[in-house]
Amino acid sequence: MDTLLDIRNLSLDFRTTRGRVKALRDISFPVRKGRIIGIVGESGSGKSTILWSIMGLLAGNAEVTGGEILFEDRNMLTLSESSRRAARGEEISVVFQDPMTSQIPVLTYARQMFDILYRRPNLSRAQKREAAIDMMRRVGIPDPEARVDQYPHQFSGGMRQRAGIAMALLTGPKLLLADEPTTALDVTMEAQIIHLLQGLQSEFGATIVVVSHNLGLIAELCDDVVVMYAGEVIEAGEVHDIFHHARHPYTRALLECDPARVEKVTRRLPVIPGDIPDLTRPRKGCIYSPRCQRAMPTCHDVDPPTAATAPGQFARCHLLEGPHADPTWPPPASVLTVGRGTEDLPPRPDPAGTPLLDVRDLNVRFRTMGPIRARLRGIDDPFVDAVLDVSLSVRPGETVGLVGESGSGKTTLGRTILNLLRSEAGTATFEGQDIRNMPESRFKPLRRDMAMMFQDPVGSLSPRKSVRALITEPLLIHGITGRDLDVEAERLADMVRLPKPFLTRYPHELSGGQARRVGVARALALNPKLIIADEPTAGLDVSVQGEILNLMAELQAEHGLSYLIITHNLPVIRHIADRLAIMYLGRIVEQGPTGAIFANPLHPYTQALVEGVPKPDPDRRRKHVSISGEVPSLLRRPPGCDFATRCPYVQDRCRVEKPPHFDAPAGRQHACLFPLTHN
Amino acid sequence: MTAYLFKRLGLSMAVVLAVVVVLFSLLHMIPGDPATIALGPRATPEAIARYAAKMHLDQPVWKQLVIYVGNAVTGDLGVDVFSERPVTTMILERLGFSMSLVFAGMGWAAVLGIPLGCLAAVKPNTWLDWITGVISVATIAVPSFLVSIWALLIFAVGLRWLPAIGAGEPGDLGDQFLHLIMPAFAVGLGWVGYLARMVRASMLEVMGEPYIRSARAFGLKPNKVIFGYALRVAILPTITLIGMGFGGLISATVFAEIIFARPGIGKLIFDSVMARNFPVVQGAVLVATALYILVVLISDILIAMLDPRVRDSL
Repeated sequence: MDTLLDIRNLSLDFRTTRGRVKALRDISFPVRKGRIIGIVGESGSGKSTILWSIMGLLAGNAEVTGGEILFEDRNMLTLSESSRRAARGEEISVVFQDPMTSQIPVLTYARQMFDILYRRPNLSRAQKREAAIDMMRRVGIPDPEARVDQYPHQFSGGMRQRAGIAMALLTGPKLLLADEPTTALDVTMEAQIIHLLQGLQSEFGATIVVVSHNLGLIAELCDDVVVMYAGEVIEAGEVHDIFHHARHPYTRALLECDPARVEKVTRRLPVIPGDIPDLTRPRKGCIYSPRCQRAMPTCHDVDPPTAATAPGQFARCHLLEGPHADPTWPPPASVLTVGRGTEDLPPRPDPAGTPLLDVRDLNVRFRTMGPIRARLRGIDDPFVDAVLDVSLSVRPGETVGLVGESGSGKTTLGRTILNLLRSEAGTATFEGQDIRNMPESRFKPLRRDMAMMFQDPVGSLSPRKSVRALITEPLLIHGITGRDLDVEAERLADMVRLPKPFLTRYPHELSGGQARRVGVARALALNPKLIIADEPTAGLDVSVQGEILNLMAELQAEHGLSYLIITHNLPVIRHIADRLAIMYLGRIVEQGPTGAIFANPLHPYTQALVEGVPKPDPDRRRKHVSISGEVPSLLRRPPGCDFATRCPYVQDRCRVEKPPHFDAPAGRQHACLFPLTHN
Repeated sequence: MTAYLFKRLGLSMAVVLAVVVVLFSLLHMIPGDPATIALGPRATPEAIARYAAKMHLDQPVWKQLVIYVGNAVTGDLGVDVFSERPVTTMILERLGFSMSLVFAGMGWAAVLGIPLGCLAAVKPNTWLDWITGVISVATIAVPSFLVSIWALLIFAVGLRWLPAIGAGEPGDLGDQFLHLIMPAFAVGLGWVGYLARMVRASMLEVMGEPYIRSARAFGLKPNKVIFGYALRVAILPTITLIGMGFGGLISATVFAEIIFARPGIGKLIFDSVMARNFPVVQGAVLVATALYILVVLISDILIAMLDPRVRDSL
């Protein structure tokens, strides 16, 4: 097969105040024509830097120190800027990570696409517009004639990403680069975009390079995979080989750490110990050796050999070739090569008795417009129900997962429980005490018992405070005196396994996982009974994610904590939650024990969510997308069942009748008139 | 959008009304009888009484206010205490001179400052950026009256290239233009640096946005990316700044109008304050305020037109 793009011995440094960061070292891999190739790696592995090197759009402090990027017969690195520009958007195009920020907000799609076609002087204005409309139709944007004149903010997230793909494909590029194309999207949207990319690839015959940390996406979409670690390609091969016969210990560990690949439900997820190495220091031996479970003395001193099985298929490891080769490596897939942390957790306390937190029929409404404007427009009810009839309880020592897509009202519910928002109706009790709309002066003492872990680990920490000040701040806020703050800070740092020297650091000096630990420490400072965690693993790499979840499980076992975990990450919540509540448009559509919900979902939406997560297994690719369309706006709540507009099993009755909450056996509840049966 | 327009217009009128009340009460807060103050200590009691009756000073204060507002709405801002000419006519005669000065001053500042800021942002930390920075700070720091006097000394007295004082022969646009150059230069100079700094800062921010990288990744030409995309977004805060700047300039012209003896609103206010010609002061300040509010309103509407996100959130 022809090679469209050939990256050979690419090395690249970033000049920073800390010294030269060797971001890419000796990267070589071919991209074959007509294939989808995935570059997978954790943050800091340099995978996006490769994309920007191909485009010639590197940051100003980047310096290519060697190698070449051959696109067809041209070396993109030595090409003049004007020839490179001629290739950009015309022969090589990009689908960007976050469609919310990568499209200019002040120009219509028609105008943006018109600009992209500027190199086609023989096309008239009307023809360019026609081309834009045609491409929008092909990526599945309904009513493209009208929508092409809209602005990005008038599109929903999924539609924006479709428009982004339309813009990238407009010129019919030979090579399409996709930088984390689904990371900013919800599960059901992600499945649709993967499906769309696959369809377009076979339709246009383009070659696609996908960069992602999401193993499920890679397994579902790609033909070939390149695995990167700390600026090096450590393994490359066909997708089946990588996922089923990984040869490099890091690839093996990465796959084992993915919660979606851990079949058996476990409270302790596998982790790769240690951190990504400091790339300013000169490397000696294998870059992965400090974290490798199978490291030998040689690994720390001698560069690993490249063990190739076929052109473009290789792994760099001493275990595979040379005097230290181990014929028993790699072990069969059933053998776990990485640890799961320390000892096993004690059995879970039976979550029974009176609930710690009990919410009944809670209703939260938001005003959509002022009373005068509503009167003028003849709208009697200028409100939307962000949370509707929600009943939920958390018992002592229990972990409850609150799952839903963005806009489902899960964060609003969390904030209402914490008395940060007013609710309209219903009851909310904490330890038997009515807390709904309680005045802040009376609620404040309760805040010691209910702590919050915020979504953005770094953004929720004040950049001007040291870690020590941050983790003792809750004590000061609640006026707890008579304790030595230094002792407290060390105690808390110890609890979250944060080394002491970190106490004097500031948030920007922390990695994502470390910042998350600080967040956990802040939540724990006042010995709470309940922790509400909003997306506790968002933005964390797979290997770090396991560490944080294991830490949370350990703390729960030690201190009898209860967790209410707000998340959209189903593979993770499957392992850690005792019970799940699935939210859609502000309502809980299904609730019950986690195992039962995953095994046989009763509500079609739950089924769509469970099936919507791409499986990190190339043999289990989906043929079809289980759910189409998007979450409707709260302003246009369907008259019948909220899910009726997207439900694959919808019946006429669903469109007119709002289903109440039904009780099902085994402590389950659902809100579906025709619950799924599983034979 | 229409609702927004009406809301903003209503609010603007409320602000103008509040200004009228403040202006009006200012006059009544000055110790002593307004008629005596206006006519001076040597006025006869009959003259004072006549004046008081004419100016409705014998009525209760609230009634005076109502009369004033009622007249103002119909365009009658009272009469000059001394010449008895209508204040409205006096202001209208001079408004053109002031407005041309403000527009010319801000105009050349924008024409020079905005591209300078763009250039500095496109090539940050180069000699170009450095020079722009120095020029900006220098022009902001030097007071405009000083610039005016130096300009007078050099171009009018020394080189004799430009006329020194006045606004030019009525009807002779060429002459009026020559008379406008120096005052406009002096008034706008500080704004060159100010706008350049502002545009540079917001351009630098926008140039780092992902959508600028997208535009580059689609192969758009650098000029298109800078002026068609980045500036399109970066200009928005600058428009607000220019709008507010007009207000500042209306008062800054006082200096220029006095130094260059231009018969503008600023000079009118200055002269009337000196002569205690309160109806003129009131009327001129009211018109200046209304103009300022109008310009701010226009700049807000302009932003709503340029930024669809703002438009849709109205």
